[in-house]
Amino acid sequence: MEIKYTIQGLLIYATMAAYLAAFLLILLRHRKAGNALYLFGFIIAVVSFAYRWYHVGHVPFQNLFEVFLSMWMIYPVSIFSRRILRGGCEWPDMLLGVIVLFPAGFVFNAQPQQLPPALQSWLFAPHVAVYMLSYIFMAKAGVQAIFQLAGKEHSQDGQILCAEDATYRMVCVGFPLLTLGLILGSYWGKLAWGDYWGWDPKELWSLASWLVYVGYFHFRFMFGKKHPRINSLWAITGITVILITLLWVNLSKIFPGLHSYAT
Amino acid sequence: MGKLRNLIMLITLALIILLIFLSVYGAFLGPVRAKEMFNSMPASIYWLVLTLVLIAGLTVFRRLIRVPALLLIHLGCVLVILGSMLGSVAGHKMTNQLFGTEKIPAGKMIIYEGQTENHIFTEPEEQLKKLPFSIKLNDFRMEYYHGGFLQIQSRDGRRWNLPAEIGSGFFLAEDLGSVRIIKAFENFRINISDSEKTAVDDPGPGSNPALEVQFTDPNGAEAIRYVFERFPNHTHTQDKFLLSYRRVVSDYISELEVVDNNQVITAKSIEVNRPLHFGGYHFYQHSYDEQAGRYTVLSVTSDSGLYIVYAGYVFLCVGIFWQCWITQISAKLKLRANRYGN
Repeated sequence: MEIKYTIQGLLIYATMAAYLAAFLLILLRHRKAGNALYLFGFIIAVVSFAYRWYHVGHVPFQNLFEVFLSMWMIYPVSIFSRRILRGGCEWPDMLLGVIVLFPAGFVFNAQPQQLPPALQSWLFAPHVAVYMLSYIFMAKAGVQAIFQLAGKEHSQDGQILCAEDATYRMVCVGFPLLTLGLILGSYWGKLAWGDYWGWDPKELWSLASWLVYVGYFHFRFMFGKKHPRINSLWAITGITVILITLLWVNLSKIFPGLHSYAT
Repeated sequence: MGKLRNLIMLITLALIILLIFLSVYGAFLGPVRAKEMFNSMPASIYWLVLTLVLIAGLTVFRRLIRVPALLLIHLGCVLVILGSMLGSVAGHKMTNQLFGTEKIPAGKMIIYEGQTENHIFTEPEEQLKKLPFSIKLNDFRMEYYHGGFLQIQSRDGRRWNLPAEIGSGFFLAEDLGSVRIIKAFENFRINISDSEKTAVDDPGPGSNPALEVQFTDPNGAEAIRYVFERFPNHTHTQDKFLLSYRRVVSDYISELEVVDNNQVITAKSIEVNRPLHFGGYHFYQHSYDEQAGRYTVLSVTSDSGLYIVYAGYVFLCVGIFWQCWITQISAKLKLRANRYGN
């Protein structure tokens, strides 16, 4: 762990501070101030991402540091989920933002790298961006699933969905993005490496995460009404597999493969 | 009928869970052994069972046929599995026997600059086979990002990774002094004339990238050293440092021509992400002669089953977006219209 005494580091810490302060304000029931600080944190996060983009000269999705930096997308997802999907609330997302930015701020190497030939493709940005967006929705779905299992529902007013329905809606939004990410990756693999499926550990773990949600939909359709808690277990398993795909596969030496440049 | 539906759904769930576990297990095996496992006979039976269950599901769950999005999703899965089977080694053997063709699933080609080649070293059979046409390599070259890096490690383990910008100087430490980058060479050679040795950049064939660097110790004494990309951690015994020079490749380019009956059919410069597609094969930039850059290694794959897989991907994607997004949005808009209508 190290503190980054750079402009990039300061922007990350400012974002984390804003998100954390927003979270605490919401807990203390200062909702307006909390939401305003959340928005402020989002603006700093966008500036941080844009700064990195300018600094490295390409879309900053190349390594784990940059990917975690892209989690500024959590704010619009948060607002979209609350206002359009009518599910979830902002405070877990604020905490999620802090947690996700922590490794970017203190752990991952921020050394800029030039893009290797394999990443010089128009598919680079869409493949990673779509995956990151889907991961955020699936993470939110996972949080709602935990609430459902813990017996906490968010139906204080009649318009907000119960946790299980909120999980379903978020998975419905995230799953097409997860599918698109997988397919774009496969198509790109064909262009770059000669095969649309190389049995790479990253590909297999990505397939596993996709299949968990396929199982979620099938189970929920047939047996979900009788066993809503098992629906939630599927969603939590899904986000767990996603975390393994994102972290363990990239960081562990037991999974060597073509995606290892992402470390 | 209800019991049959329950049974098919339970089998489906069991197959999905099994594939999840197989995928995770395959990830631990590594790409080569995972590929062997998923192409083995038991796995082929699994894929066949999965396809049959998908088709059975389409007949038992009428909704899968009535609802276009669901039909697309499940047909897409069937197409992906069928396309993959056609493109596999076993699939090629079957189609070659059925149709009397000699299509090669995959392999590698080594082509020297200026030479024409039609032999492929196949994988996994490790045999030499011929293509019905030839490939000529006119030129292979590598392009680098400007500069590169000078990596310095002191004897006590301190490290520096410095951008190799000509003319730039860097202070290392109080006890070590500083370093300045004087010159860069693409093809370093020593010329000896009249007992005088000079370092020159040889314009002839070959590649020996190097940097000329000047160290200044804390007492002001200067020493010139040469750092070679091909000889990392090179050092003299009296030196305080291990030195490496690393350039970052920005592209690998092979200029190819397809030759058939001594006629050039097409020409293309291939790079990573920009393969050549001809005669039912894709040709990819795979590797190269690391010593002198005189030959290229192309990866060759058959396109059998590929467009069926792509069609499956399109069906799957369109179906999932339709079912998860468009259907939900339409239902919401309808509800809103009904609410305002009332």
